[in-house]
Amino acid sequence: MKKILFIFCLSMFFMSSCEDVIDVDLKNTAPKLVIDASINWIKGTDGNTQKIRLSLTAPYFDNDIPPATGATVIVTDSNSNSYNFVEDGNSGIYQTENFIPLLNATYNLNINYKNEIYTSTTVLTPVAPIELVEQKNEGGFGGNETEIKAFYTDPANVKNFYLFEFVVLKNNNIALEVYEDKFTDGNQIFGFFSDENIETGDELVIRNSGITERAFNYLFILLQQTDENSGDPFETQPATLRGNCVNQTDPDNFPLGFFRASETDVFTYIIE
Amino acid sequence: MCLLLALCFYNTLSSQEKYTISGTVSEKKSNETLIGVNIIFPEIQSGTTTNEYGFYSITLPRGSYRVIVSYLGFNSISETITLSQDMTRNFSLTNALENLDEVIIVENIEKPNIKAPQMSVNKLTSNTIKDIPVVLGESDIIKAITLLPGVTTTGEGASGFNVRGGAADQNLILLDEATIYNSSHLFGFFSVFNPDAIKDLRLFKGGIPARYGGRVSSVLDIYQKEGNSREFHANGGIGLVSSRLLVEGPLEKDKGSFLFGGRSSYAHLFLPLFDINNIAYFYDLNTKLSYKLNDRNNIYLSGYFGRDVFSIQDSFENTYGNSVLNFRWNHLFSDKIFSNLSFIYSDYYYSLKLDFVEFDWVSGIQNFNLKYDFKHYISNKLKLQYGLNSIYYKFNPGEINPTVPTSGINPFKLTDKYAFENALYLDVEHKLSEKLALSYGLRLSSFHRLGQDELNIYENDEAVIFNEDFQIYEKAEPIGTESFKRSDVIESFYNLEPRASLAYQLNTNSSVKLSYNRMSQYLHLLSNTQSPTPLDIWTPSGKYVKPQLLDQYAVGYFKNFSDNMYSLEVESFYKKIKNRIDYTDGADLIANNAIEQVILNGKARAYGLELLLRKNEGKLNGWLAYTLSKSEQRTPGRIPGELGINNGNWYKTPYDKTHDISVTGSYRWNNKWKANANFLYQTGQPATFPVAQYQYNGLNIPHYEGRNENRLPSYNRLDLALNYTPKPNKTKGWQSYWVFSIYNVYNRKNAASINFGRNSETNNNEATRLSIFGIVPSISYNFKL
Repeated sequence: MKKILFIFCLSMFFMSSCEDVIDVDLKNTAPKLVIDASINWIKGTDGNTQKIRLSLTAPYFDNDIPPATGATVIVTDSNSNSYNFVEDGNSGIYQTENFIPLLNATYNLNINYKNEIYTSTTVLTPVAPIELVEQKNEGGFGGNETEIKAFYTDPANVKNFYLFEFVVLKNNNIALEVYEDKFTDGNQIFGFFSDENIETGDELVIRNSGITERAFNYLFILLQQTDENSGDPFETQPATLRGNCVNQTDPDNFPLGFFRASETDVFTYIIE
Repeated sequence: MCLLLALCFYNTLSSQEKYTISGTVSEKKSNETLIGVNIIFPEIQSGTTTNEYGFYSITLPRGSYRVIVSYLGFNSISETITLSQDMTRNFSLTNALENLDEVIIVENIEKPNIKAPQMSVNKLTSNTIKDIPVVLGESDIIKAITLLPGVTTTGEGASGFNVRGGAADQNLILLDEATIYNSSHLFGFFSVFNPDAIKDLRLFKGGIPARYGGRVSSVLDIYQKEGNSREFHANGGIGLVSSRLLVEGPLEKDKGSFLFGGRSSYAHLFLPLFDINNIAYFYDLNTKLSYKLNDRNNIYLSGYFGRDVFSIQDSFENTYGNSVLNFRWNHLFSDKIFSNLSFIYSDYYYSLKLDFVEFDWVSGIQNFNLKYDFKHYISNKLKLQYGLNSIYYKFNPGEINPTVPTSGINPFKLTDKYAFENALYLDVEHKLSEKLALSYGLRLSSFHRLGQDELNIYENDEAVIFNEDFQIYEKAEPIGTESFKRSDVIESFYNLEPRASLAYQLNTNSSVKLSYNRMSQYLHLLSNTQSPTPLDIWTPSGKYVKPQLLDQYAVGYFKNFSDNMYSLEVESFYKKIKNRIDYTDGADLIANNAIEQVILNGKARAYGLELLLRKNEGKLNGWLAYTLSKSEQRTPGRIPGELGINNGNWYKTPYDKTHDISVTGSYRWNNKWKANANFLYQTGQPATFPVAQYQYNGLNIPHYEGRNENRLPSYNRLDLALNYTPKPNKTKGWQSYWVFSIYNVYNRKNAASINFGRNSETNNNEATRLSIFGIVPSISYNFKL
């Protein structure tokens, strides 16, 4: 919406509206644990290698995000398998090599960090494959963006939720989009990406992951509150974003982040 | 009923040798009726004012009296009248500007009437509004009223306005008695009212009479001109953004008149020259036909049609606007009973076409309104107003359709909703003694949700459930749906709304006033953004959404001093609102067919002190307004252990401004040159800033805690305008004037918002200020003939 307002201002009056960077004093809160636990079972792979990233919140203008190191991270499934995620040095990245993915299976996450126990549960959600990708140049509101549509066919008569990730490999820029099938049930439909900085020959990795309704709701708010949209008078009021992980030891010291498990389809597209 | 009997009794007691003088007051040249003209009988310290249709009536003992008829900018009439039988007397006033070289404004109707119990009301005439310097030289009613105490907005690009800490959807905006649902053009940069077509407006902020209802914060009552029934005239203007043309003239001399006004922005016409394919424009049309059938009957037909059109690169097309059609019949049952019957149709239409995602979206609201109002002038001490009002609503919350056959979007229609709102009211204006005047009234309002398809049913009627593990609100899954016949009543609400005000005159120049009003609001604008957007939809009260209920108390001190050269109004108010809807975090309100799953029931309160000092006469006039106030909202958990919104704590509304100062003035050097200036200072708007950052899924995410705990930097600016009339003595033929203005003279970068995000080049977080208007010079040319 902000974009629209801005373009409108410019085109309407060739006007004096402007954006500039200013200094703002912000309050800081005590660091919180952030759980970035996304199990992605990429179609056609065995899915044995999975990573979970633990970090801490940092003051807003800091350049570094501190990792949360020294935690015990265990995922269990409904078949009583237990996967121990081992930290790679002091990176806050915890990894397993023997994960067994199973569609629609329930997975439980258990983290012990600084003697506080954090838990969560999710279901490994299947996804429809990306069937084709279309490109349109000179699109977007400014007429200078490259638009990408990644088509898939939504399974009919069942609620589905999708997370699309578009990664521009040259600069590692990532854009996320989430979709529900409320208005598109059973149809061929697309994930949409548009960027003014991509050029012919650039490699674009498109990932489509099946997610739960709870994950959709979480990501929907998360995307509203990131970069471009936050603080905008036309966007919803920002609020504390609670994920699906609980601190069992001290519920008030709740963690941020989310635990999800998805089947993921990857499509690599070269910009024409 | 008791009240009525008592009044009749009172009436019989006092009816001895009294006669009624009644009639209309109009402007001589155009025969346009004038609202709020003072008719004063100084010897017996009695008087009245003309109503919205220029009519007055007063009943006095037999005798010979001097009567003074006076109105802002017009020459007063003073003559002697012998009252020995009921009589009709119409007055015509001549415009002072046309006869005098040196303008002396005799009586300013905008100054407070210290005797009348009505408080918390501001009047502005079309001339005052046109004098106020505004951005890009476009005179604007809404911008003008925000200079009054107790009125603010959520920023320069914000729709609507906020009165005494109330939300924008809590203002009843009436144009010739028809409800306007969206008062903004172009996202709020301009309002939908063409100032040329407007005669007069009144803003009620408190002590709202019982004849108004349906919104809890304020009433903005706007009257369009009727049109000149003596001769043909045209006037218009050419500005940087829009141009206006209004024509008026007689249909039949002194009996009937017409008025057509049009306004359109045209900046978009030049855009192709700059190779820009985006379009943004608005237009509106005002019409009015008036016909005087005879001395006792007048009929009026008025209409308004306005649209905004906004499109970007053919991929996005947005159209929205109001239409209003209104037929009215004024009838005098006797010289003491004035009546007005209105049939009003109004609608609001919104459409959005998104080609790049291959669908379009249409939503809207339609209503049919019947009003029958009576003004009963029983004696010079007692005046009654009573009437009834019925409104039938049809809500279209939205309809989605694919735009191309290959679109992946399925057509989808959100369930239409229907409602019926009724009200009966009685207002009594009662002068108890020389010093004490009362006005009290009662409104009985009812609201009925009519049958619809597919109303969701939930377990325990709970559409929102609280997830204790994650401490979040989630949508409940409906356990079924119910369908009804259109004639069924699903849910009914009844409310008694008492209103009362009192004025006690301390001496000839000062008075104190008290008021209380209760009001109910059955419609809610669904909006969880800082300021409303045209896309927001109205939803009726029903099974899951309760009507908003307001109680407001106000007390004020009013003084005219230095021979009425100055006036001072000091008011303090406290108000609380029950059932103010709030939204679960991140609630998606667009195309949501189960809005009840994201709504929580909260409350709001506001209190403050307002001061208005006016200089009413002389070469320099204007006002200083200061407001000190607080506006908050709270949505606690429904049961213990539930979090509520913002942890159940009170939080500032987006329009909470602790200090709000505005100074506006105009200085007339001579009849060629006139200068106008505004200065505004406001506490920065509440905002929510992040308290930390974190990383998730490759993205940098700001972390927020309390809601609206920060503020944008304070807002201030100065505007100047210069009016130049080259040939001020010309009263016939082509007459014109120029307006040169500068908005935000010292080019302050006032923040409309502060956005927190990551700079993609440096990879650091930064705060970006968006300021909409820097210094904006403009020029406009206005003419009449």
